[in-house]
Amino acid sequence: MSEPFRRSADGIVVDLPDELRRWLLSEAEQAGADANTMGDPVHHRLLGPIDLSADHDDPLIELQRQFAVEGPLERFVATAFATVLSEDEAEEWIRAFQLMLAAAAARLAVQTEDDVARLGQEASSELTTLQAGISLLIDALDT
Amino acid sequence: MDGTDTGLSGSTSTLQRLDSPWDVVLWNDPVSLISLVVRVLRKVFGYDKAKAERLTMEVHNDGKSVVWTGEKEKAAAYAVALHGYALHATIQPSA
Repeated sequence: MSEPFRRSADGIVVDLPDELRRWLLSEAEQAGADANTMGDPVHHRLLGPIDLSADHDDPLIELQRQFAVEGPLERFVATAFATVLSEDEAEEWIRAFQLMLAAAAARLAVQTEDDVARLGQEASSELTTLQAGISLLIDALDT
Repeated sequence: MDGTDTGLSGSTSTLQRLDSPWDVVLWNDPVSLISLVVRVLRKVFGYDKAKAERLTMEVHNDGKSVVWTGEKEKAAAYAVALHGYALHATIQPSA
């Protein structure tokens, strides 16, 4: 396989197998669904309170955070099979991959480096695939 | 002052709290890449590479770092921006 992400005159060219794109799509949809489920560890990780000195965050802040989480995931879902991304779309993919990564870590109850080390191969592969995607996208965008 | 309770002391305290600086605290997480955190700190706060790397290593080594201090509203907006990259950030009154 050639470079998964590379800069061209048209934007960021994406060369990912359809199977991987379908997997990423399901991760994004799962992250979005779990983030909206009260009591789910993903909800707590992605939408937990930011002001620890108060009982609740300001409702406006809560709304902004909801958009900050849902927006990138929705935009990734809309462009998951694109072959060329604009700079803004590629940045949204980085956000979406990060949100999927944090969601996967929350589902796996990963809170420390030791937790990561204890993961089985399949769970570990889920995290490293997303990390690799983030790293490669950063390389392509910052080239 | 005649010692009458004007009820202002609580309001004054609230005003002082609103005017006081707030910290944005970024917490370590075991899965976010160092390169990603450096990049986000540069993008969100406009920090140069050296400052972003120093703060990122503080987060990595100490478990957390105060990455910005200032008005509460701006602190909250910055924390939201960091959450947009799934980085765990909170705000608190500055010590």
